[in-house]
Amino acid sequence: MQNKKVVAIVLGVMCFALTAGICIQIRTVQATNSSVSNNYEENNLRAEVLRYKERYDNKVEDLANAEEELEKERESATKNDTALKEKEEDILEGNKIIGLTEVTGPGVIVTLSDSKKDASSSLDPSSLLVHDTDVLSVINELKNAGAEAISINDQRIIPTTGIICGGNIIDINGEKVGAPFEIKAIGLPEQLAALDRPGGYLELLRSYSVEANLEKSNNITIPKYTGTITYEYAKAIED
Amino acid sequence: MNAPMISYTYSSYLAIAVVAALDSVFGGITSVINKNFDLKIFATGFFGNAILAILLTILGQRLNVDIYLAAIVVFVGRMFVNLAIIRRYFVDKWSRKFEKIKNSRTKKEQTAETKVEEN
Repeated sequence: MQNKKVVAIVLGVMCFALTAGICIQIRTVQATNSSVSNNYEENNLRAEVLRYKERYDNKVEDLANAEEELEKERESATKNDTALKEKEEDILEGNKIIGLTEVTGPGVIVTLSDSKKDASSSLDPSSLLVHDTDVLSVINELKNAGAEAISINDQRIIPTTGIICGGNIIDINGEKVGAPFEIKAIGLPEQLAALDRPGGYLELLRSYSVEANLEKSNNITIPKYTGTITYEYAKAIED
Repeated sequence: MNAPMISYTYSSYLAIAVVAALDSVFGGITSVINKNFDLKIFATGFFGNAILAILLTILGQRLNVDIYLAAIVVFVGRMFVNLAIIRRYFVDKWSRKFEKIKNSRTKKEQTAETKVEEN
């Protein structure tokens, strides 16, 4: 009888110890994300991002198709009416100015790429990189020199475009754009080429050993803006 | 779950102790099946193995050798062996039971047939 009691007590203590150990361990592991579960979560997130990217690409394609259709409809509708045709031309002119049509013409191509120097060779490694402010300054100077249409790595610059630092990339029109930056501008090439004047911004960039080149060209094509423009607050004043 | 938590630093020790204890439990079940179960050996093995595993893990961390991997390999390997023995025992038991049921059924049928013939 005594023996049985001892057996029961010892087994009970052992069962308690084992369950307590397992419970504490599970709770601890749950509270501290282990690297395995972290990796798992990261992979899931990555897959989700890819899925969204695919969906986004599909939507962009749909949008392009719809715009093409709209263009065709407009063309067929205005074929036989001179008044409508004038309006159509107004629309086209307006689209050209706000960046909703592909444009081509003479201009310059500016390429800015990060320095090939080793980062450890500079006191300030950050100065070896092309920053959002550099791109912004170049765009500003091009606009000042009379550029009519500008794109950075095929992102059209429109009146509502923002150029923001996004870590190791810059954010243009909400799209991520990385170095090297190819800035295309349409305008009078000789005037735009003044960007490369002595003491100009490109020379300043070169002094930081950033690679900056300017090239004149007679045939530059700048793509249209692919996003949507929404004006919610600005209202036209009617006379 | 309202279980208390321990610092993550010590959770690897607790994990190896839990694995050692589980190994002891399966070893105990196997010894019950083999009819050579001894409570003293079981209890000392349960706590002794756990503590030894923790000490080995600490030693391994001091020496920068992952000794706990060896402990896990040994414990889990033994667990599988013990589980195989337990599985075999129960499969044998059940198959014998099924055979008994089958035999009794055929016997019943035979007796029924003889009864029919008698009638």
